[in-house]
Amino acid sequence: MLLNGVRRAAIANKGEDGGKERERAMALSLRGSLEQVTDPANLDESVNEVFTMMLGAACTRDKGRLEFEAESVTAVVGFGGLLSGACVFRCGAHDAMKVAALMTGMEFTEIDDTVKDGIGEICNMLAGAWKGKVPNLAANCGLSVPAVISGHDYNLHVQAPEFQLNHVYRAEGFRFSVMIVCDGIQ
Amino acid sequence: MSEVRTLIVDDSSVMRKIVERSLRQAGLDPLTVLEAASGTEGLEVLKTQQVDLILSDINMPSMDGLEFLRQIRSQNLAPGVPVVMITTESSEEHVKQAIQAGAQGYIRKPFTAEQVKERVLPLVHAA
Repeated sequence: MLLNGVRRAAIANKGEDGGKERERAMALSLRGSLEQVTDPANLDESVNEVFTMMLGAACTRDKGRLEFEAESVTAVVGFGGLLSGACVFRCGAHDAMKVAALMTGMEFTEIDDTVKDGIGEICNMLAGAWKGKVPNLAANCGLSVPAVISGHDYNLHVQAPEFQLNHVYRAEGFRFSVMIVCDGIQ
Repeated sequence: MSEVRTLIVDDSSVMRKIVERSLRQAGLDPLTVLEAASGTEGLEVLKTQQVDLILSDINMPSMDGLEFLRQIRSQNLAPGVPVVMITTESSEEHVKQAIQAGAQGYIRKPFTAEQVKERVLPLVHAA
């Protein structure tokens, strides 16, 4: 699975009203705030914000690896504009059903459209919360609509990112990973 | 409070349910919810149904929330009905665009029921 299609969608979603001149001007300040953009604490705060507010589940960083059960669910939201890349949320199928159950109050026994929708929305909020931590990113980086993949035996391949954050988190009863991949800052 | 007929526009069915639940937790009762998965669907609902409140996402396929809002105003659909945008986009620029397009309120995702109460209830009471 490559991320370029999602990134193109995010760029298209951003629209054309920004103007190249403004992007050039803002790019300088985004390069200037690269330390802030790559700060791992921003991702931790974003994850906690989303899961506490929307699911009532506090999360902690888990230093272990995420071993996937046979089936897993991955949601991808692309970034386009001053920063291009993607936010990727991934968890096992059972954990995806737990997350969707917390969001909706419903019970799930399979990865149906509602579960995929819920996981996509979680990824969308994570992407929005993360970019919202840096003012220039919040204003000048668009989000694509989420793409959700579920299945067995697939890998995510990212070609030479400019930077990448990949964290595993644990909440009550489930674990998941969140990855921020940046393949370009204009 | 008399029945509040609310149109929720979001491409995510899960998010529409969460928004509905938050409105009920905020004390909007009795509440009748009409749903639309895009701005285009939302306009169709407004052509045939009367509503008291509109809550809309911004990032949606086919017609986004800002264009939906502009169309509501230009077609004079739901005159005087408060519109609140609920979105992951949180910059001042996005808020300004929403207000310019005719929104009365703005809620950033993720949100709490308390935030929905603070930002939506006064608009419903004032309408």
